[in-house]
Amino acid sequence: MNSLTLALEGAGKVLGAGLVFGAGLPVVYALAMRLLTIGATPADGDTAPHYTPLGRALAGLLILVVAGGVVLGLVLIVASGFGKAVSFENILPTIVDKK
Amino acid sequence: MNGTPHLGEAAVSTPHWCLVDAATIILVLVIVTALAFDFTNGFHDTANAMAASISTGALAPKVAVGLSAVLNLVGAFLSVEVALTVSNAVIKIQDKSGAPRPELLTGGGQALLLIVLAGLVGGIVWNLATWLLGLPSSSSHALLGGLTGAGAAGLGFAGVKWTGDGTKLDGVVGKILLPSLLSPVVAMAVAFVGCWLVHKLTNSVMHRLEERYFRWGQIGSASLVSIAHGTNDAQKTMGVMTLALIASGHWDRTDAVPIWVKISAALAIALGTYIGGWRIIRTLGKGLVDITPRQGLSSDGATAAVLLASSHLGFALSTTHVATGSVLGGGLGRGTHVRWATAGRMVVAWALTFPIAAGMGAVMWWIGHTLGGVAGALLVFAILCAASGWMYRRSRLQHVGAHNVTDDWGAPAAGSPEQSAAPTKTPTR
Repeated sequence: MNSLTLALEGAGKVLGAGLVFGAGLPVVYALAMRLLTIGATPADGDTAPHYTPLGRALAGLLILVVAGGVVLGLVLIVASGFGKAVSFENILPTIVDKK
Repeated sequence: MNGTPHLGEAAVSTPHWCLVDAATIILVLVIVTALAFDFTNGFHDTANAMAASISTGALAPKVAVGLSAVLNLVGAFLSVEVALTVSNAVIKIQDKSGAPRPELLTGGGQALLLIVLAGLVGGIVWNLATWLLGLPSSSSHALLGGLTGAGAAGLGFAGVKWTGDGTKLDGVVGKILLPSLLSPVVAMAVAFVGCWLVHKLTNSVMHRLEERYFRWGQIGSASLVSIAHGTNDAQKTMGVMTLALIASGHWDRTDAVPIWVKISAALAIALGTYIGGWRIIRTLGKGLVDITPRQGLSSDGATAAVLLASSHLGFALSTTHVATGSVLGGGLGRGTHVRWATAGRMVVAWALTFPIAAGMGAVMWWIGHTLGGVAGALLVFAILCAASGWMYRRSRLQHVGAHNVTDDWGAPAAGSPEQSAAPTKTPTR
């Protein structure tokens, strides 16, 4: 059952990366939303909630992290389309030739 | 021209200008059918990227399919790789470089063209049938299923690659069966964890937030899925078209596709996406769970990450299985009601995709081969047209479109599985 071992191994890796990016980035996004509400007034009838500069700044920073994830996704797609791969060996993603 | 893999004089001996040539007529049928498959591929898979965004109202239905279509078009051009060896995963009609096996090239490549034509027809008919029933199913599995059936009929079971050589995942088991069992589970787990944590983090502050703030994350990940889809799936059609052109001697390179093939395949998948498979969007966006913006963020994020991670790690998964798993996992993560009956019908459709597409591919090959030559290919094509026309007419009986795609999911009507996919009411707008 070599195929089964290979498939489980592949699925395990995808699960790991999926948890880091696929669960991680939405959680960062949610954290941004939570920080946005620091000191904010609740929505009251017709008036929208009012957010503090601190809340906005912290939320903005985390949204940048999420945006970075989207850019990384784009790089993955484009790189593989042009015969390159993205290596995570040095933690920071770098574009390398496909093995 | 050094370094360019040419296929030798034998393959290019058919005159290009001779329009009455039998192989040329069959080639035209194959090209038209391949583009038709690409079109169904587009509208069948719109839901994977956009169902959640449409059902949460993050994007208006027409805007969502328009955005997805444009991104599919862009994605289709974002690659210079040649997916010529797409059928190598399951059948043995090509060598490693992608060149057709020489014994299939006699008579202008008619033997190979008929296998490809029959396989494509099998894939299209299955795609349309599942669309009519509003069931998301893998377009790639339908294509590879059709090709496998036609290949097995034409070459015998020895022509089918069942498993890999032990060093990498390959064949029907490694590329189709095992990934389709594992991918929904992986996506479900990721979306479950993400959605649960997102709710934990924001539940206590939701009175100071509006749900619509979550839409940007959703739109971002849905866009990534659309681009990736254009890159991966349009290539498969380009590969099949190029294979047919090589077999009939109209193209002699395995390292490039003709530019008109690239443009026409990109346009076909984008047009299909824009037409929108509303019946499938409805099932995935409304039929499984009622998706909220926070869940939409988690589910779409899981779909995009799992898809990109899988292709990066060389463990290609079906977009459909991943997207469906993510919607289910997100629903479970926030503890909402899941319509398991709908999920069950989807799983049945997934299990049947490969064998039924294969069966139809085999029957089509047998019909084409029995009648033989141009007449056989024309009959196969006529059967495709008749089946497509009939299913389109059936779909108009209970029309699902942009106007009613997000209506409440009604109680399933007795007897007909289609009725549960159709909206219970049509708003007057």
